[in-house]
Amino acid sequence: MIYQISHNIISSLGFTSEDNYRAVKSGKTNLTLQDKAFSLPEPFFGSLINEELLDAEFSIINTKSIRYTKFEKAAILSVYKALLQTNIAADAPNVQFILSTTKGNVHLLENLDGFDAERVYLWKSAQLIAEFFGNKNEPIVISNASISGASAQITAKRMLEANECDYAIVVGADMLSKFVVSGFQSFKALSRELCKPYDKNRVGLNLGEAAATIIYGKTAQQLPADTIVLAAGAMANDANHISGPSRTGAGLFLAIQKTMEDIQPEEIAFINAHGTATAYNDDMESLALTSAHLNNRPINSLKAYFGHTLGAAGVLESIISSLAIIDNTILKTNNLQEQGTVAPLNTPTENQHCNEHAFLKVLSGFGGSNAALLFKKTK
Amino acid sequence: MNAGITSYCRITNDKVIVNAQTIDVPRTDSSWLNDIYHAANISYPKFFKMDNLAKAGFLGAELTLQDVGIDKTEPKKNIAVVCCNRSSSLDDDTAYQQTIQNPADYYPSPAVFVYTLANIVTGEISIRNKIMGESAFYVMEHCNPQKFCSFVRGAFSDKTIDACLCGWTEYNNGNCDVLFLFVTRNELNDLELNIEKLYR
Amino acid sequence: MEELITELKKEIIDVLNLEGMTPDDIDSDAPMFGDEGLALDSIDALELIVLLEKNYGIKLANAAAGKEVFKSVRTMAEYVSKNRTK
Repeated sequence: MIYQISHNIISSLGFTSEDNYRAVKSGKTNLTLQDKAFSLPEPFFGSLINEELLDAEFSIINTKSIRYTKFEKAAILSVYKALLQTNIAADAPNVQFILSTTKGNVHLLENLDGFDAERVYLWKSAQLIAEFFGNKNEPIVISNASISGASAQITAKRMLEANECDYAIVVGADMLSKFVVSGFQSFKALSRELCKPYDKNRVGLNLGEAAATIIYGKTAQQLPADTIVLAAGAMANDANHISGPSRTGAGLFLAIQKTMEDIQPEEIAFINAHGTATAYNDDMESLALTSAHLNNRPINSLKAYFGHTLGAAGVLESIISSLAIIDNTILKTNNLQEQGTVAPLNTPTENQHCNEHAFLKVLSGFGGSNAALLFKKTK
Repeated sequence: MNAGITSYCRITNDKVIVNAQTIDVPRTDSSWLNDIYHAANISYPKFFKMDNLAKAGFLGAELTLQDVGIDKTEPKKNIAVVCCNRSSSLDDDTAYQQTIQNPADYYPSPAVFVYTLANIVTGEISIRNKIMGESAFYVMEHCNPQKFCSFVRGAFSDKTIDACLCGWTEYNNGNCDVLFLFVTRNELNDLELNIEKLYR
Repeated sequence: MEELITELKKEIIDVLNLEGMTPDDIDSDAPMFGDEGLALDSIDALELIVLLEKNYGIKLANAAAGKEVFKSVRTMAEYVSKNRTK
């Protein structure tokens, strides 16, 4: 098991985890119709990080003469703010950076805008992020579609438990671009209005920008009593289709089974699921959760607050859910009016109180990938 | 030669080696990867829908598993698929960008877009071989055997995993650089050294 | 109509990378999706939507709208001849 030492979220809802959590708890979202962004022929519904606000905060912390992209700035600022709450020396050899992203600086393919062509490589961004903090270990980059943020935390857990490092700084980030939005549009996967996870009338997902960081350590030393631990995590593949969710939920069920080995469904306060609000994903999840006897436990999706934040999603949603369980709260699924998945689920439409100490985070994505993470409160 | 590795395959721009044997690949007008497919006598029409990265990884996996004798039709929960490379999906990213670059010829292609996620190659391999264990894709500047090995060892920390199909799976701009290995749990100790030796 | 059917078959083979197939190999009335015939999948359907827009100026809103249109090459040809704008 590994311990959350600190965390941060940079999103359209705020630049700290706490601001983001408060916004979500009060039912706020900045998902909106974007009809000017990226000169797309078709508008899309999504949330963007305000670049002026980001620049204003970034310019205060920036000590380098290097020009950074929005993606790099958001990731660096997120790590910086997470580190600020700790006494960890990020430049120490026992600290490992792990970057979770699907597309990094892919927008530079359209126009390099004065940047070196090398900047489209994900490892290059990761190096720049680690170097900003003086860290000399080769950073790890995981690019595992929608489950990237969960894969990165599982990788952190393994490296910490194998004594390959003492601290792991997991940062998940993805920005939107013409590239990313047009691709999802070509997949006819986007909703033209606020997405409706698990709703009978759900028609697709929203996209959102975010950078989110969790710093993990090996011991509970000097941590508050209600620290969150990552107790278990596992991945599994559907072996079914490269983009379509499994029709049975077999892969997600397998990942959950592996993660829930030492815990009973009743001990789970809630499952923070993927809940993208596409017809097939949400149905698939309902089947997998039913197979795992979790269909009666409260289930929520955060997608109608942030949109799908891609490589950041697994990290961001783990943080929000961690703050929720510390707050003994089950967050409602925003914009859910009428539950309508192929197998019925328990999806609260109002925030609720909870007493249990554990929650499950699940994600599924392109490539048939599925992941489950089990988090527990130490007190 | 390949002590400590059940099976491996190395593909570069001009050579295909499977377990120390060089495979003869007759060249045609088609692409190098298509020629390898034909030389290996594979029958899997979906191959031609894949991008170059997925093709390269698919062939690496296919040739590595050729003599391992796993049942491709039976779902297997005890095998993991771990890939890593330098360029992520940049080869296909560039192809997709072409479909949206010119406003007068703007037709974003879903079939190209789907491969702009690097881990699709692990999905293709999992589908072909019905592998339901974990699949993961990592990116690093150069093939670093120590890091590569750390990822594979990580996959084995899931105790339901008995074997790992893993590969350095690099394809970008016409350059193919693939090393695939089938590794069992008790072969982990020599893995780093073997990767170093076989990748060279 | 037969001319359009052959043209569509060529385009389908091309955009869907149906390696080694010729228009003669495709039965104009056979189902394109499902386990038999061409055995196309959901990504192929999306790509056919792009084909209709690019080559014939026809916009389909979503994959569900394509279901009837893409039943067979013949139904696709009938739809194209009725709705094409280029």
